[in-house]
Formats: sequence, structure tokens, C-alpha cells
Amino acid sequence: MTAPEVQLSLDGIRKSFPGKGGPVPVLDGLTFDIYERDFVSIIGPSGCGKTTVFNVIAGLLEPDSGTMTFRGEVVPGLQGRVGYMMQKDLLFPWRTVLQNVMLGLEMKGVDRAQALDTAREYLSTFGLSGFENAYPKMLSGGMRQRTALIRTLIMDPDILLLDEPFSALDYQTRLYLEGVLLDAVETFHKTVVLVTHDIDEAVALSKRVVVLGNRPTKVKSVHEIGLDARSPIGARSDPRFSDYFQTLCGELEIQTRQRAA
Amino acid sequence: MASQALKTSQPSNPSQIPTTAQTPKASARTARKSAVRPRAKPGAVARAADTMLGRGIIQLLAVAVFFLAWEVAVRAGWLTEFLVGAPSGIWRVFLASMRDGSLPVDTWYTVIEAIIGFLIGTLMGSVAGLGLWYSAFVARLVEPFIVAINSVPKIALAPIVILWFGTGFVSKVALAVSLTALVALIAAYQAARDADPDLQALLASMGASKNRVFKSVIVPSTLPAIIGMFRINIGFALVGAVVGEFISSQRGLGHLIYSASSLYDLNTVWVGLFVLMFVGFLLYHVIDFAERRILPWRQVITTGQVQV
Ligand SMILES: Nc1ncnc2c1ncn2[C@@H]1O[C@H](COP(=O)(O)OP(=O)(O)OP(=O)(O)O)[C@@H](O)[C@H]1O
Ligand SMILES: [Mg+2]
Repeated sequence: MTAPEVQLSLDGIRKSFPGKGGPVPVLDGLTFDIYERDFVSIIGPSGCGKTTVFNVIAGLLEPDSGTMTFRGEVVPGLQGRVGYMMQKDLLFPWRTVLQNVMLGLEMKGVDRAQALDTAREYLSTFGLSGFENAYPKMLSGGMRQRTALIRTLIMDPDILLLDEPFSALDYQTRLYLEGVLLDAVETFHKTVVLVTHDIDEAVALSKRVVVLGNRPTKVKSVHEIGLDARSPIGARSDPRFSDYFQTLCGELEIQTRQRAA
Repeated sequence: MASQALKTSQPSNPSQIPTTAQTPKASARTARKSAVRPRAKPGAVARAADTMLGRGIIQLLAVAVFFLAWEVAVRAGWLTEFLVGAPSGIWRVFLASMRDGSLPVDTWYTVIEAIIGFLIGTLMGSVAGLGLWYSAFVARLVEPFIVAINSVPKIALAPIVILWFGTGFVSKVALAVSLTALVALIAAYQAARDADPDLQALLASMGASKNRVFKSVIVPSTLPAIIGMFRINIGFALVGAVVGEFISSQRGLGHLIYSASSLYDLNTVWVGLFVLMFVGFLLYHVIDFAERRILPWRQVITTGQVQV
């Protein structure tokens, strides 16, 4: 078996934020690789710096030190190459669903008629047809997150950065959208990096799980997930599922005890 | 249509979805609703009158009562007509000045001065305020100057403005500009600074340039505040025009009011004031109308929202 090709590699990324008593280190030399067509989940205690990692990858924050290499080339950030779905469903309130979804295509300068076609197609796939002209205010939480997800997928980025995309949803919708995401990733051959606080979700969806430690954060461990189920529900019924789940729970539990001490 | 589209968006294979959790909650909700409905709600009378027509009738009634009381008080001798005027006298002056054409002309002058002053001042101020978003450095640099200039009561500038721009039309416009420009600048700058940083970050992650962020985030997200400021500025522009006319002018509602009051012609003063009031009211609603057209996303149905 050939070794998977590395798409993005982070090497010794450090980042601190200014605090009252001097700089507060958040990322403390973060090193990990993301392969082509990978599905990596990042889990870690709350406030450990998961969103910060994404901001660094997306080129919104400059790391204090460390390098990022994208397909063999050292880059400062991946602006324009990532589809970043932020932790809150960030829709433009003055744009309709259709206009929100088309944002990325506008940015890329895609021909308008073609962009419209693509957007309509995605909206119907995600069960949002009929809501093209609705404003975000009028949508339910799940519909908003679906719109944000479409906006991220439709840009056809090299890497999808999804920051707790389903955290605000009920279990039902969540299972459904996990399935939709897996299908979309499968169809369009995307690389996905998913931040989640839900171990269950991480195991069910990912090929690999990166566990981060407490702040200042380092990579604690990386776990390969060997489930090859095609659906999030299938994965959850795999007999090995609970083993992975237990292992990852164990990793995070040790940290909570350490914090208490 | 909405419910239909919602249905198609449901999970495609319901057999695998845990549905039991949903049922008790849903039935509890309907139970609560039906328990509340039969009870007569407090404030039912107020709600029944709270329609366009209902409100209009009440408002007209209030105005009628006010003028009636005023007229009665003057006729009964409780108020001196010499000092407060009287509705019947006001009406007579109004008709006469409409007939000889002087009132429409005066009104026209004041309105045009105010509108031109409003447009120039608001436009310049808004553009400058939004422009400051581009450079935090420049913004911090000019901030103390803006604060200093803004703390001068602009009306105090009126004599200088008259000296510089003469006693005609231009000086009134200039005064209106001086009253509106800084308000617009501060409002626009504040709104631009408050624009959601996450939306800006999102666009940046898509590789957007600063100009693009300005166009796609800053301008649309500041529009509500800027249009809100229009309402304040239309009033200020009228103040500028009228004060300019007070000081030196041959025309305009300010001139009308000022010269009439020096002759103790209270009824004419009231005509000027009421026309001003009416003009301000009208312009306010023009802006309201524009707002509804420009910001459709803010108009999304408010029915079904929680009433506190
Ligand atoms: N712009 C900033 N300025 C100062 N401190 C920041 C900034 N952004 C993040 N931090 C700090 O960095 C730490 C990590 O934040 P981050 O948002 O990356 O956490 P997270 O792992 O995403 O948390 P959660 O799971 O709650 O989303 C937090 O302590 C936060 O206070
Ligand atoms: Mg986060």
C-alpha cells in the first residue's frame, strides 16, 4: 500500500494572544499532516485553540512561528483555497439564501447564469428549494447551517474547514446532515478538516482523529479510524465503533483530571 | 409552499431516525397552546384599536380636541390671542398666504435649502466616515479633531457662515451642511467599525480584497445605521436652513417666522411652525419609504414574533 500523499502539513505552529499579564500562549508548536482526500477530525477540550488553528490555516491569523506547507510549497495561509465554515452559522443577513450561497462563486468571478444554475442545484440537493428568496432571519437553525454548508461546498475549495458545523442541531438533523456531508465529500473528492466536541461524530465520520491537549496546545495523539462504513449511521453500528469511542474518551478524560489537579 | 419545501428537506430514510423523542414535546406544545387560547388576554381593547385606521382615528381626534380647546380658551378669554394666537386666526392667515402665493414660495425656499444641504452634508459625511474604515491609523489620527469640531454648537457658526457665503441661498445650504456632515461622518464611521468582523474574516478566507470586503460587508451592514442617521439629519438640515433665514434673509419659513414674531403676529408665526412641522413629517416619511425599499431584508414579517 502506498503512503498517502500529504496535502497540507503544519509544522511547529505557535500562536499566542496578548493577555493582561503578557502574551497567553494558545498554540504551542502544533504539528500534523493532512492527506489528499483526507477526513480529519480535531477534538480537544473547549478553549484549547481549535478555532485558532482554523484561523491560522485560513490565513486570517498569522502564526508567531512555524510553517505551513501546501502541496510541497510553503504558504503563509490558504486564503481563497479553503472553504471555511465558521463556528456560528454566519450568513449575510442582507442576502437571500440564494445570494448567500452564490457568494463564493461571485468571489471567484464565475459567470452569473452558470452560478445561478449551480446554486439552484445545490439548494435542491440539500432540500432548500422554495427558500431561494428567503432571508436568513426567516430560516430555522438547521436550514441556516445547511445554507452555510452549501456556501462552503459550492466554492469547490481544496480543503473544507468545518468548525463544529452541526453543534447547534438536534440529533436527527445532525445525522441527516452528516450523511449529506459524507456523500458530498465522496462525490466531489474533497479534503475535510472537522472540528467537533462530539467524539461520537468524530469517530463516525473521520478517517483520522487528531486529539489536542489543554492550552497551550500540542497534538496529543493521532488516531486512525478503520471503519469503512458509508454512512454515519452504519459507522455507529460497527462493532469497533465503541472501542474507538472509548479510546478517545479516555484521552480527553485524562486531560480533564489533569486540569482539575 | 413553505411547509411543502420543509417536508422534502426531512431525512430521506425515516426508519433509521429516532422519532419517539419528538412526539411528547410536540403534543405538549399543542396542549399548552389550546390551554391559553380561550382566556381573554389583557390589553385586548388596545390591540383591537391598534390598526392603521384605528390609530389614525385616535390621532386625528387628539389633534381636533387640542385645537378645539385652544380656540375655546381664547374665545372665553382664558388665553390672550395677542400672545398665543388662535386656531381660527391661524387658518385665516394660512388661506390668505396660500392665495397670494407667499407661503408656497417661502416653503419652497426652505425645503430646497434643507434638502440640498442634507444631501451634500450627509453624502460627504457618510463617504468620509466609511472611508475612515480603510485606515485605522488615519481614523485614530483625526478622531480628536472630529470630536473637537463636533463639540462646537454648529449654530454658533451661523454668523461666520453668513459672512462667508452671503445672505442668499448658499449660506443656508452651507449652514445645513455644517449641521449634518459631522453627524453623518460619526454615524457612518461608528457603523463601519461595528460591522461584523466574522463576516469580514469569512470573505478574507475566500481570498477577498479589502475593496471587496468594503463593498460586500461594510456598505450593506452600515446601511441601516446610515439610513437611521438620515432621519436625524433631515431635522438638522431644516434647523440649519431656518436659523440661516432667521439671521438674514428675504425669503423662507425662517424669515416668515422671524419677521412675524417681531411684529407680534402670532398667527403667522404658527403658520410657519406648522408648515415646518408638516415638511419635517413628510421628509421623515420619505426616508421611511426609502428605507423599506433599500433594506428589504429588515422588513421580514414581524407577525408571529414574540410580543413583549
Ligand atoms: N482574537 C483573540 N484574542 C485574544 N484571545 C483569543 C483570540 N481568539 C482566541 N483567543 C483565546 O484563545 C483560546 C482558544 O480559543 P479558540 O477559539 O481557538 O478555542 P476553541 O478550541 O475553538 O474553543 P471552543 O471549543 O469553545 O470553540 C481561548 O482561550 C481564547 O480566549
Ligand atoms: Mg471554537
